[in-house]
Amino acid sequence: MIRKALDRLYISSGAVASLLIAGICLLVCTQVLFNLITRFGGLSINLTIPSYGDFAGYMLAASSFLALAYTLTQGGHIRVNLVLTRLPIGARWVAEMLSLCACAVVSGYVTFYMGKLCWESYEFGDLSPGIVAIPIWIPQSSVLVGMIILTVALFDCLQRTITSRASVFAAVELRKEGAE
Amino acid sequence: MTEIAITALLLLAMIVMLAAGVWVAFALLITGIAAMMLLSNAPIGPILATTIWGHSHSWALAALPMFILMGEILLRSRLSDDMFRGLAPWVGRLPGKLLHVNIFGCAIFAAVSGSSAATAATIGKMSIPELTNRGYPESLIIGTLAGSATLGLLIPPSIILIVYGVATEQSIARLFIAGIIPGAMLVLLFAAYVAIVSVTRPKLIPQETERFTLRQKLSASKRLIPIFLLIAGVIGSIYLGVASPTDAAAVGVVFSVVLAWWNKSLSVAMLKESLLGATITSCMIAFILAGAAFLSVSMGFTGIPRDLASWIGSFDLSSVALLAALTVFFIILGCFLDGISVVVLTTSIIMPMVEQSGIDPLWFGIYLVIVVEMSQITPPVGFNLFVIQGLTGIDILKVAKYALPFFLLLLLAVIAIVIFPPIVTFLPDLMTRN
Repeated sequence: MIRKALDRLYISSGAVASLLIAGICLLVCTQVLFNLITRFGGLSINLTIPSYGDFAGYMLAASSFLALAYTLTQGGHIRVNLVLTRLPIGARWVAEMLSLCACAVVSGYVTFYMGKLCWESYEFGDLSPGIVAIPIWIPQSSVLVGMIILTVALFDCLQRTITSRASVFAAVELRKEGAE
Repeated sequence: MTEIAITALLLLAMIVMLAAGVWVAFALLITGIAAMMLLSNAPIGPILATTIWGHSHSWALAALPMFILMGEILLRSRLSDDMFRGLAPWVGRLPGKLLHVNIFGCAIFAAVSGSSAATAATIGKMSIPELTNRGYPESLIIGTLAGSATLGLLIPPSIILIVYGVATEQSIARLFIAGIIPGAMLVLLFAAYVAIVSVTRPKLIPQETERFTLRQKLSASKRLIPIFLLIAGVIGSIYLGVASPTDAAAVGVVFSVVLAWWNKSLSVAMLKESLLGATITSCMIAFILAGAAFLSVSMGFTGIPRDLASWIGSFDLSSVALLAALTVFFIILGCFLDGISVVVLTTSIIMPMVEQSGIDPLWFGIYLVIVVEMSQITPPVGFNLFVIQGLTGIDILKVAKYALPFFLLLLLAVIAIVIFPPIVTFLPDLMTRN
């Protein structure tokens, strides 16, 4: 039950992240089209999507962070495998637990301070610097949500690693090697 | 504890973490946090949060997912199937014949994919059986493959140059343009080496009897030509200043979808796969960049890079001697780290040292990428060598031996740009002048 819900959480945040990338593409292409119309269409006004550069950046940040947990479960984050894959199973299990532990704690730490940053932006009413000034806590909270999901995923992986007494990433890595 | 001891301890801790399989982005974050705890009184948490936020929403960085997505779509549009048939008719009469398919195939494919391991795997899967059946020598098949697969790091649009540009606040457009001549020079060096070997030892190269008319040639490569034009269009519009890299990449995505539709490989499933693949890769790189950004900031607080710079400065090395030392250092580093991690580590720790010794950061970016390319085929532990060993089952020492001439050619290229820097700076300078 909880297992299913967690997996669904990672996949759906990954899906939102990928839609955001498609969104960046759409936004930028629309602006390029507007540039072309302005230059060759003989219009007297300059067609511009207000603050489109800022919005592309916010969508990028949201996409990068919302995809963190999904990327983790898909084995997408880079790590050095040279030593890890040559360790005996027991030693690998221990190494995997220790590194998951360290990452989960650090991820929680980052999440906490990201939350504080969002809260401060909200309290002080900070606005984005562009023509269309939006409260900066809105894009910042997408980073916060992404970090929360990543922290959950890391503790989830840690718990599974401990109970299953084996690396949860070995299977993903094998599948990836098979696909290449 | 003295500062030197703490620095050594941090370095050791980072190596242990990396070896134990801590994800690179986290290893950078943890090292940064530890360094600030030990060597400064600055508030870590707030700086961490503002740095991560500040370095993940830039317009320039938005080029990254766009180029990756463009590559993912092109890779899934039956590009590699057509590479051999499309290129073979054009190179059949050069000395060295179809071996050049490996070189030019890798160059084109690498421009699209930007990953040398993926390039080696994809091109190799198709060209190794084909060339072996025709009787080409194993040494040259494997060597050209290993060498040319590394080209992807340099030939624009290059993901690793975007990473360097974002991390050092250099113009990505200028970096791309700076990579053009060195990239072309490497392709020519590889091709010339194959030609020279086959002229001096003609027995090695089998006869190719087929002759093609121009019309046949064009029809054989009709699927490659649009891809070639697409890449040329993207680079051209950046060079002419019509479009920023982000603009050019986003339009490139649309054109690659059109191309896939045109050669009937477009489907909803294919688009979805490409989009998810691009999401994963760009997330991974963005996270490493965020970690590296924090490490740079934390290093700034500790003063380690400044001390390192003055320590190196006290040796009074010439910039050539410094570069020679760095080259050895990067090659060792690249044996167990991927290219992107090498670049972000470099930019967060030794960039002040490089700038202090008067080296142009634009030039240094290209130099760094070529050295990272070398490290991918360093005998006997380069990353690409493992990929090719996995692909062919040939022993890694043998693969390393076959790749050695290409390793030396890359070294030659590094020496060439050190002696004659305009190879790198000529085109970007021209661009600014216009």
